[in-house]
Amino acid sequence: MTAGTIHHRDKFLQTIAKKLGREQRKTGVTRPYWKHQPQWSVFKGYSQDDLVEAFKSQCSRIHTDVVETTANQLAAALKQVVSNYGGGPVVTWDDPRFAEYGLFSLLQEEWPSEKIDVHVWNASIGQKNIECAEKANVGITFSDITLAESGTVVLFSSSGKGRTVSFLPQTYVAIVPKSTIVPRMTQAAAFIHERIEKGEQISSCINFITGPSNSADIEMNLVVGVHGPMKATYIIVKDR
Amino acid sequence: MKVTLFATCLVDLFHTNVGKATVELLERLGCEIEFPEAQTCCGQPAYNSGYVKEAKEAMKHMIRTFENAQYIVTPSGSCATMFKEYPHIFKGDSEWEPRAKALADKTYELTQFIVDVLKIEDARAKLKGRATYHTSCHMTRLLGVKDAPMKLLKNVEGLEFVPLPNAHNCCGFGGTFSVKMGPISEQMVDEKVHHIEEVGAEYLIGADCGCLMNIGGRIARQGKPIKVMHIAEVLNSR
Amino acid sequence: MAMKIGTGEFKERVDKGIHNSFMRSAVAEAQDRLRTRRLEAAEELGNWEEWRTLGEEIRKHTLENLDYYLWQLSENVAKRGGHVFFAQTAEEANEYIRDVVVKKNAKKIVKSKSMVTEEINLNPVLEAAGCEVIETDLGEYILQIDDHDPPSHIVAPALHKNKEQIRDVFKAKLDYKKTENPEELALHARHTLRQAYLTADVGITGCNFAIAESGSITLVTNEGNADLVTSLPKTQITVMGMERIVPTFEEMEVLVSLLTRSTVGQKLTSYITVLTGPREQGDVDGPEEFHLVIVDNGRSNILGTEFQSVLQCIRCAACVNVCPVYRHIGGHSYGSIYSGPIGAVLSPLLGGYDDYKELPYASTLCAACTEACPVKIPLHELLHKHRQVIVEREGKAPISEKLAMKAFGLGAASSVLYKLGSKMAPSAMNPFTANNRISNGPGPLKAWTETREFPAPGKERFRDWFHNRQKGGEHQS
Repeated sequence: MTAGTIHHRDKFLQTIAKKLGREQRKTGVTRPYWKHQPQWSVFKGYSQDDLVEAFKSQCSRIHTDVVETTANQLAAALKQVVSNYGGGPVVTWDDPRFAEYGLFSLLQEEWPSEKIDVHVWNASIGQKNIECAEKANVGITFSDITLAESGTVVLFSSSGKGRTVSFLPQTYVAIVPKSTIVPRMTQAAAFIHERIEKGEQISSCINFITGPSNSADIEMNLVVGVHGPMKATYIIVKDR
Repeated sequence: MKVTLFATCLVDLFHTNVGKATVELLERLGCEIEFPEAQTCCGQPAYNSGYVKEAKEAMKHMIRTFENAQYIVTPSGSCATMFKEYPHIFKGDSEWEPRAKALADKTYELTQFIVDVLKIEDARAKLKGRATYHTSCHMTRLLGVKDAPMKLLKNVEGLEFVPLPNAHNCCGFGGTFSVKMGPISEQMVDEKVHHIEEVGAEYLIGADCGCLMNIGGRIARQGKPIKVMHIAEVLNSR
Repeated sequence: MAMKIGTGEFKERVDKGIHNSFMRSAVAEAQDRLRTRRLEAAEELGNWEEWRTLGEEIRKHTLENLDYYLWQLSENVAKRGGHVFFAQTAEEANEYIRDVVVKKNAKKIVKSKSMVTEEINLNPVLEAAGCEVIETDLGEYILQIDDHDPPSHIVAPALHKNKEQIRDVFKAKLDYKKTENPEELALHARHTLRQAYLTADVGITGCNFAIAESGSITLVTNEGNADLVTSLPKTQITVMGMERIVPTFEEMEVLVSLLTRSTVGQKLTSYITVLTGPREQGDVDGPEEFHLVIVDNGRSNILGTEFQSVLQCIRCAACVNVCPVYRHIGGHSYGSIYSGPIGAVLSPLLGGYDDYKELPYASTLCAACTEACPVKIPLHELLHKHRQVIVEREGKAPISEKLAMKAFGLGAASSVLYKLGSKMAPSAMNPFTANNRISNGPGPLKAWTETREFPAPGKERFRDWFHNRQKGGEHQS
């Protein structure tokens, strides 16, 4: 990583301080305790099952299909979803959870034997990954955090977890471990904020994805599938 | 109960009947009406046009005029709102801010006074026909009086009430806006009249003479068979 | 495109807007739909007022400590290997961006929707440097290929165009042979733009919210175009208005929730992307180089003034979507890329009263905007403040109005003068009166009576009636 640079900062910030009628502040500001925090009351006291129900009901409003399954049935369920989307090529993250959830043989054996192309993200081959993602019919990732209220999957990028797996393919499938479901964005933001406070480095790209891409720019008509995926499915899986 | 009437300049000059109805109605509901002769205008025309200095002179005059009142009642949501704004306008003025606040605290729009102070929701009025109601912006949004007129109208015998589509949109009056931005104002009032017609109302009722003058003026120009009434006149019909 | 758009006087622009029947029905329909969706979304939360209060508190605190948070932001961006450029003016911002682009030897640039890059007029600068600049937000793309038609709404820039017009533009400018079906149009754009993302050298974005604690930027879209703009090109340049910042992820979250609900009634949009610095070691996608350009361009002049609260704006357009004036005149009438109530407040502050002196008067002060604003900007009060400034400080009010208001001040402050004036009114109006109404009034009444009847002043004023009644001692009921 090259070192960053900062240009023309002093005068700029001094101007602001002057307009605010005080000396420039570089330290000593603490975020106040906000008097109202209504964000924490959404789905307060919900059980994990309640959250699953809320999540599912929201998905019906965001043009996203939901499949519920168990860890044992996950491979079959995923196979069915991909087949419904017209099969491969498939692109996935390089994520240990695929193995943990018993999807290894589907990716490495079953699909290839059925002539379904599978590309698992591979940082060592660089740009080639993007070409694969661009040609793929289905992109598959796990959800890192899942938001019940909005029907959102949260993805943290890393070298094995390419950003474009969820944008470039024609369709997108997110595997949602039930335990990742939280009430809303508040919990995800608090989680990330804590990591920052602890001095940890956050992912260069954190994506909050809510259903397929869409636009209402032409006469306010909703068109589903614009730049990103045309369709999306979430597979909720009971944890192992 | 002694009520000091702030008639408003529009009522004093143009809509005399609204003033009469207000007096008769309040008397029938048990109030004794006082009308300070020195009253003029709340200052809104100048204030809203940006002439704050000129407006403040009118405001001070009104504060002096109404200082001894117990309850100030006015048949205008917008002018009541203006009185309520006075403390904000005189903020930091050690002499006038407290006096403005005292004035604001005892000011009521007519329907608000009847429902909240007199605790009356049935004014025992009768009016036969199909009516809709124009929610004026200042009264609804700034004064926060939404339910009082509805409660009172619901109890008017013989009145068939129909809600007005897009009631939340301004009628296009806006004081000097109506002449400064005539063409825009025309489009706004046209849409309003269209909605009033659309629901087949025989009566358009409102609680602000400014809006009613605007909507009524357009209705009259177009020769539409819709009668425009201030809510005081409706509640005074028997 | 700079902030100022269109030509002609305000009155001419309004006239054009009023006579554009397609635009007006599109705007009215959009307003009605978006208003309902916004109210439903607020209703669903149940405690919307608390949310608004929180939003306001966050924005106020951030503005009061803006220098601190920008300091923190820039430190954190640099820590992650990004480059931060503070631009006092549009020219400084454009010059820096052009230098980066030239250094990268870039030929093709993809952009996701950004109002601030419109404001600083970036595209022509890049085009002059020999680059092809492609807008990727569908609405912006449509406007761009239609010979740079200006946006008429800060969130839905092509709201004023119907699908037939869009089809014709596609036919004339692209190799398009299909119908006006929005899905077919969007699909065509998808294919064209997909190639652009894949071959672009530089991606340029705006910024919904920068996050000081981590040096991140947040992008909010439904189309996902910002994601492709920031994933594929090797260089990313993000341009932000200096006030578009929050302290931490937790405040970003609250403001995003307010933004998406207020704009379109969505709980979240399809894509909310938080980017921190360039790609990390081992990453395959994402930019190798990240530049953040923080733009003042007149904003600091608003700080510390009675207009400071306008900088709380999160560009949700809720005020535009409820404005009864915007409803009838559309966005182009404002002569600024910032239209509606927020535009009427902001444009004179950023662009001066010479160009925008009419905008504060293009409002009935009905306060629908103030009521809708998710961060509680008192928009109608700020419009009123502008009027006060125009009258008192700028001296731009017409003489006749000044005299009239002076007379008003005297008259309304004196019961003697008021009584005299009001007594004379009926006879003064006599020549214009027929059937108790005035149909062709003089002076300021002329504008009124062009479209409406005006009531003639009563022969008996209310006060006379009341006085006589008291004197007679009668109390009829």
